Amino acid sequence: MRGICTVALLAIVAAPAAAQSVDDATEMLRAGKYQEAAAAFAKVPAGDAEWTTAQRYLVRSLAAVGKYDEAESAARRSTSGSSGAQLWNTLGEVLRLRGKNGEAEQAFARARTAHASDSLTADVNLAILHYDRGDRDEALKEFDRFIDIYNGSGGSSLTTADLTAVAIACRYLGATNPQLFKDALKAFDRAIQEGADTPEGDDARVAVGEMFLEKYNSADAQSSFDEVLRANPSDPRALIGAAKRRLFDGLSGADSLVWRALKVNPSYAPAHVLAAELHLDLEEYADAQRAIDKALQINPASSEALAVRAAVRYLVNDMTGFEAAKRQALVANPRDAELFNTLAELSARVRQYREAADFAKQAVALDAKSWRAFGLLGMNELRLGQIATGKKNLETSFTGDPYNVWIKNTLDLLDTFKNYDEIKTDHFVFMIEKDESALLEPYIAELGEAAYARFSSTYKYTPPPPIRIEVYRSHADFSVRTVGLAGLGALGVSFGTTLAFDSPAAKDAGPFNWGSTVWHELAHTFTLGSTDHRIPRWLSEGLSVYEEHRARPGWGFDVTPAFLDAYRKNKLVPVSRMNDGFMHPAYPEQVMFSYYQASLVCDLIARDYGEAAIQRMLQAYKAGQSTDDVFKGVLKTDLATFDRKFDAYMREKFATALAGLDEFRVKTREARALMQSNQFDAAVAPLERAKALFPQYGGDDSPIWYLAQIYTKRGDTRRAADELKQLAASNETNYAAQIALSTALQKLGDNKGAATALDAAIYINPFDPMIHQTLAELAKAAGDPRMVIRERRAVVALAPVDRPEALYQLAVAYREAGDSASARRAVLRALEDAPNFEKAQTLLLVIHDERTGGKKP
Amino acid sequence: MVIALLTLCAPRSALHAQRTHLLIVSGLGGDPTYTAEFRALGLALADVARKKYAMPDSEVVYLAEEGAKDARISGPSTKVNVEAALARFAKNAAAGDEIVIVLIGHGSGSQEDSKISLPGPDMSARDFAKDLAAFKTQHVGFVNLTSASGDMLPVLSAPNRVIITATKSSFERNESVFVKYFIAALTGDGADVDKDGRVSLLEAYRYAVTETKRYYDDLGRLQTEHAQLDDDGDKKGTAEPDLRVASGADGALARRIFLGGGVYASMAGANDPRLAALYKERFALEGRIDELKKRKSTLSADAYDDALENLLVDLAMKSKEIRAMEGRS
Repeated sequence: MRGICTVALLAIVAAPAAAQSVDDATEMLRAGKYQEAAAAFAKVPAGDAEWTTAQRYLVRSLAAVGKYDEAESAARRSTSGSSGAQLWNTLGEVLRLRGKNGEAEQAFARARTAHASDSLTADVNLAILHYDRGDRDEALKEFDRFIDIYNGSGGSSLTTADLTAVAIACRYLGATNPQLFKDALKAFDRAIQEGADTPEGDDARVAVGEMFLEKYNSADAQSSFDEVLRANPSDPRALIGAAKRRLFDGLSGADSLVWRALKVNPSYAPAHVLAAELHLDLEEYADAQRAIDKALQINPASSEALAVRAAVRYLVNDMTGFEAAKRQALVANPRDAELFNTLAELSARVRQYREAADFAKQAVALDAKSWRAFGLLGMNELRLGQIATGKKNLETSFTGDPYNVWIKNTLDLLDTFKNYDEIKTDHFVFMIEKDESALLEPYIAELGEAAYARFSSTYKYTPPPPIRIEVYRSHADFSVRTVGLAGLGALGVSFGTTLAFDSPAAKDAGPFNWGSTVWHELAHTFTLGSTDHRIPRWLSEGLSVYEEHRARPGWGFDVTPAFLDAYRKNKLVPVSRMNDGFMHPAYPEQVMFSYYQASLVCDLIARDYGEAAIQRMLQAYKAGQSTDDVFKGVLKTDLATFDRKFDAYMREKFATALAGLDEFRVKTREARALMQSNQFDAAVAPLERAKALFPQYGGDDSPIWYLAQIYTKRGDTRRAADELKQLAASNETNYAAQIALSTALQKLGDNKGAATALDAAIYINPFDPMIHQTLAELAKAAGDPRMVIRERRAVVALAPVDRPEALYQLAVAYREAGDSASARRAVLRALEDAPNFEKAQTLLLVIHDERTGGKKP
Repeated sequence: MVIALLTLCAPRSALHAQRTHLLIVSGLGGDPTYTAEFRALGLALADVARKKYAMPDSEVVYLAEEGAKDARISGPSTKVNVEAALARFAKNAAAGDEIVIVLIGHGSGSQEDSKISLPGPDMSARDFAKDLAAFKTQHVGFVNLTSASGDMLPVLSAPNRVIITATKSSFERNESVFVKYFIAALTGDGADVDKDGRVSLLEAYRYAVTETKRYYDDLGRLQTEHAQLDDDGDKKGTAEPDLRVASGADGALARRIFLGGGVYASMAGANDPRLAALYKERFALEGRIDELKKRKSTLSADAYDDALENLLVDLAMKSKEIRAMEGRS
């Protein structure tokens, strides 16, 4: 009895012990201790009640770290066991990870036939396979069954995995009825609730995160990923989800999450696919190719990977490779609209908008319910200036997918276009809000045409007409036009022949020079166009700033103490990796520094190889060459050597400033303290010293600006003017300095210089009528009737209280320029408001007599 | 009643001997700086009324906090004095005359209790409503340039009244800069945008609105006062009425009320029938120009400009004749 009792007792104790080991192993799995979990699950004996669960989790643990062969073997072994039918779905999922879709389908089918406990998961896996190979109608019918299953069961008898399967099915069905995404969310929520503290619950959390991201809800997506990653920082799928979320929100750090995922599972195909996309963003095509090759090595049937491979081949201009990749993807799924969507999206990310629109059209042709395709098509058409068709396609997209906040914002913005004027010139269409079009149009049109003349000659390229320039008074509207959301840091964007800018009235953008912004973005139009949009980002930005520097004194980014600090601390990116500075900045200022640094690279190339070398580089990029090849072929140097050359250039160009930067700061600080205690005379010496130490610096806290203010205060107009001239040559946004310079020069009798300063000031702030009035008078004195008219028009456009006087002055300006017809119109407008305006009456009588010989018209 | 109505609606070309009665009230300053500032504004307005617009002393009443310490001030700005002045205007004013009341100072309260701070009891919107009721056949311009004045507008709004307040509501309590620009408009030359040699209440209002906005913009500050004007009696103010409004909207009456409107009429009615005839022809031309402007949207741009040019040339010629006859050319 005692013996029996002992055995019984042992048995009683042993059962919980086995269960305990499965529980412990499951906790390890959920904590990301995959190796330990796998070892523990492997030890669970075949007769154990938890054996099926242990085998499923064993396979899962092995797959999580990329041991796919072992996972497959374990799954196969298990299927031959007594409860083997319970493992067919697990086997199918492992096979699918390797692209063995035929075998996977058989496995899923066997799970279904055997009525395995996870047969609903097998069902949904089968439907996904069918969907992914293009059997869309069949797949949708299969997904549709899940709604009946859910409703039939009342949801109560469904396991976590079953509920997840229902949710996934609803997510696919969402393409036909967007309301079903809400049902998917409901099922996911229940799955998470039911499966709290289980791996299946974690799966549901990650899956719902992916769905949130698909539906543009990054905050909830991140919460879902975070929740999983808090317990298991090594979950590769959650890490990739989190990486995609960062990309979605335009945040840095996606790359490090990808590398973390790959550290856990070096064979995780989705991580390699995302890595390839990140390389593409940086225009690192060779690296992208290597990453995508790895993905396809792991899973040759990955439709995502096939699409990215096609994109890489396309973007390096390898049309044979592109066609082959495309063919392969379409063989796997003849209705693979996502192939073209991926091509469209990745093309647009490297500024190939026309190609993006073409690809999106092909996606639409393959799948009339690909709302993403309609969205991509519409957005890229807008970037190409095709507003009406773009809007129509966005509306189609939004009807099918009402969750897309970018498209909603963009459609809302398009509805406001009726509040804008469209003004045509020789080469441009300007879209400017009605309230300010009369003011801005003369400047922007003049500037645009001047830029056109300069760039078409420099770059030997004629853009297809017209170039469309949209000017937004609201920075948020500009931001929506550019990226679909508010909050963009930039002031202007060039999509090629469609450009968008902040108007100078967009005060939330801060003080900026809208003239140089126009010039900068138009330079992109030509550098993009002349290379078929193949110019790398860094060079396009560098050339735009370089062109700003050449256009007018002071325009474009310039050197600052912070920039030189970054250089000294080795925090500037090397030339060979300059796109990183724009796309993956390591610190907030790096993007701004990269603009200036890229312009210095262009300076260096022009200095040492001649400006013609820049044009040859552009031609080489147009031919599809990589930056490596371009530097070798055109500049006869490799990138590493050029990095050293640039370093030497920096040390030479900024030798004085680099040597004296610390003393410069000390002296400037000292001077500022003296000025704060009104010891202006005493501040001059340290300011002069600081200026000598860093003569190129003309920021708003520069010694030059302080000296100018002291000399102005002293009444030393000549010296003040000298300092202000120097400042204006390196500062494009100091409005007060331009006004002060103009005033000083007027006092010195230099009316031409004074006019130039006011003209420069207008590109910072065009809204002060007094500035326009003064400039009109200066221009009149200088005999520049064109400028007089422009300035008089500006005064009228600013809706002055005394509008009749402004119109009268405009009429006089027209008449003096010999334009009697415009003079008549202006004086009629003046008298329309003020019929008894004596001066205007006199002018009208003169014009009338000249026009009619004294008779009525 | 019929006669009164006709008088009120008569166009300015009728040349009746219309007079303006001006009451300026500057209230409690609360501190010497404000007291001096309010007095300076009131005096500037009283001076320009008497000198530039040639209003007789009897029609210009200026009541200030400290009373008649200056000969140009009629007395302390107590409620009793304000009401007495208004009662005197009511007694003396003929039908069709213009009563202009300008309040300068600190405001407080809300709705019917919205008031201007005066030495002694304050005066509320309710008080003014009672006093203004006496002006049944006159045009009234009630210009409240105090802080927190906005709530007076709906209380005092009525037909034949122009109500101007420096603020949109009683919540805008900060010191008003609108008052300075409004007085500047009447005392300077910049606000006469239709170049007829006079500044209407509408012109003064628009000038002050524009300059107030510019003031805040230049300082980069949020605007803490938003003036409003109502003259169609609908108890709703308009922030920026159109300077060229012909009728049917806020601004139409304010456009026709001037300080010294009588001066202009008396010019035309000088004892020279030839000059009076010329003025009559000129007013007729102005009327035709107004009519043409109303039809602008129905004409092509060229046809409109041609017609406008014809009329404007005639008007210019007529004005030239008038100037010659008046010895001004």
